[in-house]
Amino acid sequence: MKNQVSKVIVLDTLESSALAIVTVAVVSLLVVLFRRRKKHRYSDNREPDWSIPVLDAQSDGSSFFHSWHPSVKVGTLCASCFLIVSLNTLTWSLAAVGICILAVLLARTPWERLSRRLVAISGFLAMLVVLLPFTSAVRPEDTVFLIFGMENWPFHQRGLIVALTIVCKAVSVVLLMEPMLATAPFSRTLQGFSGLGLPRKLLSMIALCHRYLFVFREEILYMQRAMRVRGFVPRTNLATMRIMGNCFGMLFIRSFERTERIYEAMLSRGYRGSFPAGPEPPKTVYDFIKAAICLVIALLLLSVDRIMPSPLL
Amino acid sequence: MSAPSNNLPPVESQPPLFSIRQLTFTYPDGTPGLQGVTLDIHTGERIALLGLNGSGKSTLVRHLNGLNAVQKGICLFEGRNIESEPGAVLRQRVGLLFQDPDDQLFCSTVYEDVAFGPRNQGKDEARVDELVRGTLAAVSLDHLLCKSAHNLSYGQKKRAALAAVLAMEPDVLILDEPTANLDPFQERLIRELLAGYAGTLIIIEHDLFFLQGLCDRALVLVEGRVEHDCPLDDLLQNPRLLIACGLDFTFRCTGPDSAAATAGLKPSRIIHGEKTGGDHLRSPRTGEPFIELQRYSYRYSDGTTALRDISFSLFTGETVALIGENGAGKSTLALSLLGLYRGDGHLLLAGEQVSESELSRLWQRVGMVFQHSTEQLFCPSCREEVAFGPRQVGLTDAEVEHRTQEALTLVRLNGYEERVPLNMSHGEQKRLAIAAALSLHPDLLILDEPTAGLDLRSEALLLQILSDLPMTKLLITHDLTFISRLSRRTVVLHRGRIIRDYATSEFLNDRRLEEIAGLDYGYKRCCYQAMEKALEKRSDFVQDNQL
Repeated sequence: MKNQVSKVIVLDTLESSALAIVTVAVVSLLVVLFRRRKKHRYSDNREPDWSIPVLDAQSDGSSFFHSWHPSVKVGTLCASCFLIVSLNTLTWSLAAVGICILAVLLARTPWERLSRRLVAISGFLAMLVVLLPFTSAVRPEDTVFLIFGMENWPFHQRGLIVALTIVCKAVSVVLLMEPMLATAPFSRTLQGFSGLGLPRKLLSMIALCHRYLFVFREEILYMQRAMRVRGFVPRTNLATMRIMGNCFGMLFIRSFERTERIYEAMLSRGYRGSFPAGPEPPKTVYDFIKAAICLVIALLLLSVDRIMPSPLL
Repeated sequence: MSAPSNNLPPVESQPPLFSIRQLTFTYPDGTPGLQGVTLDIHTGERIALLGLNGSGKSTLVRHLNGLNAVQKGICLFEGRNIESEPGAVLRQRVGLLFQDPDDQLFCSTVYEDVAFGPRNQGKDEARVDELVRGTLAAVSLDHLLCKSAHNLSYGQKKRAALAAVLAMEPDVLILDEPTANLDPFQERLIRELLAGYAGTLIIIEHDLFFLQGLCDRALVLVEGRVEHDCPLDDLLQNPRLLIACGLDFTFRCTGPDSAAATAGLKPSRIIHGEKTGGDHLRSPRTGEPFIELQRYSYRYSDGTTALRDISFSLFTGETVALIGENGAGKSTLALSLLGLYRGDGHLLLAGEQVSESELSRLWQRVGMVFQHSTEQLFCPSCREEVAFGPRQVGLTDAEVEHRTQEALTLVRLNGYEERVPLNMSHGEQKRLAIAAALSLHPDLLILDEPTAGLDLRSEALLLQILSDLPMTKLLITHDLTFISRLSRRTVVLHRGRIIRDYATSEFLNDRRLEEIAGLDYGYKRCCYQAMEKALEKRSDFVQDNQL
C-alpha cells in the first residue's frame, strides 16, 4: 500500500486518543443540544393561531419565496437542486450550503422543522462519513492516515472529502426543501407541480397520502396501544410474527374499507376525477426574474466548480 | 322544540321528491340490505330514519345519494330515475354526512375541505370563500380555518364535516348519526343548525331525544323493510311500538335528576374545598388513592396543550364520570393514567410512582376500552381476542380458557367464540373490547365513550353490564343516563383543567356548568322531561280508555 500512495501519516497513541475523544465529544454535544432543544420546543406555552395560515404565522407572507408563483418556484428550485448535486468539489459544495442557508433565512421558515429534517437524514450521512474514509479505493497521490490500533484500516483523506462533499450536497438540498415546499400552502405547492406537467391523478394521490398517513398512523397507534396494555411485548419469535401478521392484516382490511368510504365521500361532494383547484395567482415578470437569479447562482456554482478545482479536491 | 315552518304547500299536494318502489338491495356476500322498500319523500319533509344497527338505514340513504346502484325496484328523484341522473349533479343537490368524519375530511386544511364541494359545483372563488367562512362560523370552527383535519378533535371533525356538506347548499340533507361522540354543547349547536335548515332533512340517529321536535316523520326500518311510517311524536308516545321496533328508550326515562336518587346515591363526601392547581377543586378524601396524577401537564407535538397542571385521583371501588367538552382532554387524561402519554408530573399507583419500566405492572391492574373500540380489535376470532391479554401475561392454557369464557359471559357474548370481530355489529364489538379488558381482571376499568354509535338495545344492555361490574371504573361519556346511573362522583374537565370534582347528584343540578364550560346539559334535561311527560300523558290516556 505504501508504494501506491505518496503520503502516509501515522498517528501515535496520543494523537489517536485525542481524535477519538474529540469525535465522541462532538457527537455527544450534538445529541445533548438536540435533546435539550426537543425538551424546550414548546416551553413558550403559546397556542398556535389556526385562524390564519401557518405560513402567515411564520412570516408575513411577503418573503422572497412566499410571494413567488408556486409553479415557477418549484420548477426553479428543483432545477437548482439538480445543479447542486452535480457539484464535484467540497469547497463549492460548502459554498452551496452557505447559499442555501441564506435562502432559508430569506424564506423565514422555522428552523425547528428544518433541524428535524436534517436529523432525519443524519443517520445515512453519518454512515457515509464513517465508512467512506475506510472503504474508498486508494489512488496514487492519496494521503492515508494510520491510526494507532487500526493499522489494518487505513483512513483515506480523499474518502473523507468525498463523504463530506456528499454530506454538503445532501444538506443543501434539504435546506432548499424549506423555501420550495414550506412557503406556500400544501395544496398550492401541489398546484405548482401540476403546472410543471405532473399528472393530476398522481398529485391527488400525494394529497390524499399526506392526509391519510396521519389517520393510518393513528390506527396503528390504537392497535399498538391495545396490544401493549394487554401485555404484548414484541420478541423475535413465531408468536410475535403471528400477532404482527394479524395486526397488519387487520390494518390492511380496514385501510381498504376506508379508501372505499373516502372515495364515496368524495363522490358525494361532486368529485369528478380531480381535486378542484383554488385560485392560482398570475405569473408576473418578477417571478421569472427570481427564477433567473436562482438559476444564475446555481449555474455559477457549477461553472466555478468545473473551472476552478479547489485546493481541497 | 317544534320543527320550523318553511312556507311550503302541504306535502301531500306536491309530487314526491323521492319516490321509491319495491327497492331491494343485496350485498355481494349475500347479506340482504333492503327488502322491498316502498315510500315517498316530499320536499321539505323532516324524517327520522330509525332502526337497530344493521337494519338497512345507511343502505337506504346511499341509494338516495346515488352511491348504491339500484339492483331491483324503482328509485325516482323528482320523477326521474336516479340512475339516469348524472351522479355528480344528483350529489350536488343531495348532501350526505357520513358517520365517520375522518372519511369526509380528505384535504390538507379545514378550509380546503369545506371548499371542496362548492368548487366542484363550479362556484366562483369569492362565493366559495363566503360559503366556507359562513358555514365554518355556523359550526363555530371559524377559528380553525387553517388547521389540518388530523389535528382536530373528534367533535371538531364532525362539525367540519357537516360544514363541508352545508357549504354545498344542498336541497336535501342526509345525516348519518350526526351526534355520535359529541358533547351537549356541540349537539345543541348542530340541532340549532338543523332546525334552521329549510330543505328536506333525513336523519339517521339512535338518540330519540335529539330527534324530538326536529323531525316530524318517523321511518322505522327492521331487517331492511319499512316496518313503520308514522309521525315521530306518535311513535315516541307508543311504548309498545317502540319496544317492538327495538327502540325502547324508557330505560333512560327515570330521568337524570331522579336517577341519582334512584341509584341510591348518598350525599357525597366530596365537598368544594381548597383550591389546588388553578380552578381544580380537590377532593378531601382520606386514605391512599388507587391511582393518581399529580401536577400533571401534557402537550401534543403540534403545540396544543391537552392537560394543564392537573391533580386527579381515583379511589378503590368508586365509579367516576369524567366529562367535558370535546377536546377538553378527557381521553388524554385516560391515556396518561395508563402511562401511554408521558407528560410533566407524576403518575402514582397505590402511592408508588410508576416509571417507564413499570408500566406492564400498571397494565395488569388497569384495563381500558378505547373510544374507537373497533380499532383495538385485531385478532381473527373473539376467543383469540379475549384470550390475548391472559396469554401475554403467561397464564396457563386452562386459566386462559377459564378467563375467556368468564369475560365473554360477563358481556353476554358466550357462543360468539369463533365469530370474526370485524364482522360483528358495533355494539357487539364494544362488548368484545370490554371482555378483552376484563379478561386481565383489572382493578380499574377505563371506558372512553362507551355508548357512541350504539343503538338503544345495545345501550340498555351495556348499561346493565357495566352496573354489574364490581371494579373501580372511570367513565368518559356525555351520556347523562350512564353518568347518573353508574357514577357517584363526577369530574369536569375544561380546556385541560379540572374545574369540578363533586358528587354526581351535585353535577346533575349544576346549572352553572354551561356558562363555565359550555356544557349544556340543560337541553338534555328538557328532553328527558318532555319525554317523560309525553309518556305519562300517553299512559294516562291508555288507562282512561281501558276504564
